[in-house]
Amino acid sequence: MNDITNTAEREQTQVATRENQRTTQSLTRTPAVDVEETSHGITMWLDVPGVTRDKLEIEVHDNTLRIQGDATVPSPQKLELRYAEIRESRFVRSFTLGGDLDTANIEANLQDGVLKLTIPRREEARPRRIEIQAA
Amino acid sequence: MKHWSLHNDLWNEFDQLQQQVASLFGGFPSSIRSYSDGTFPPLNVGMTDDTVEIVAFVPGMKPDQIDVSIDQGLLTIRGERPTSFGQQDNDEARRYAQERFSGAFRRVIELPDNANPEEVTARCANGCLTVSIAKRQSSRPRAITVQ
Repeated sequence: MNDITNTAEREQTQVATRENQRTTQSLTRTPAVDVEETSHGITMWLDVPGVTRDKLEIEVHDNTLRIQGDATVPSPQKLELRYAEIRESRFVRSFTLGGDLDTANIEANLQDGVLKLTIPRREEARPRRIEIQAA
Repeated sequence: MKHWSLHNDLWNEFDQLQQQVASLFGGFPSSIRSYSDGTFPPLNVGMTDDTVEIVAFVPGMKPDQIDVSIDQGLLTIRGERPTSFGQQDNDEARRYAQERFSGAFRRVIELPDNANPEEVTARCANGCLTVSIAKRQSSRPRAITVQ
């Protein structure tokens, strides 16, 4: 069995499939995501506060997009943590991409702790109007 | 019997939850105002010998969009987080996942008595807002010489 839940139904969260809980529990965090699709492709935003570009890894393998990284918060020495709503510094999240998406041309942009990914749709998969020929 | 065991389990869970809350706070003064789960922004609180350090995770926000104030021992962080959607001038955009918070937020943290509201610094980088509040001189640890 594949570790990543596959989404057959396109109308549902095609790219927003949570990785199997078992693999992401305990030590890593699952960042929140927004996903939007237009005729040009998919745009997604992930909350990754405290992450810098060099601590972020984005890879595509066999139609699986995997985003992982480490967050660091500048803090003084000898800091004693008293209360934490975010404990894990490491985060991972994977998505299954449909075959209509052009995985070779994914654009990634990191700003203020938000990662924006733009995944274009393949040219041949874009919607087009079909002319009806007169008889 | 089943009913009773369920009842007991619930109480146990409640107990565990309380313990969990207590352990999260540790020595930090707990207050109904400072505990809240699943709200935006998530907070971490730490202490050094000289300061109280509060980190609010506010990805996507600029410093001028966040308002930080201290009044009567309460630190308030508030602002409004715009949605990412709809910025594209595009036709019928379809939205799938929508997990990220958007809208107005406000979080209040009760500061310990030894925090000095006159000495506060706040900075925002990579979506992390760090507020550092100095402790009063008298409450800082100091070595006492044995006569």
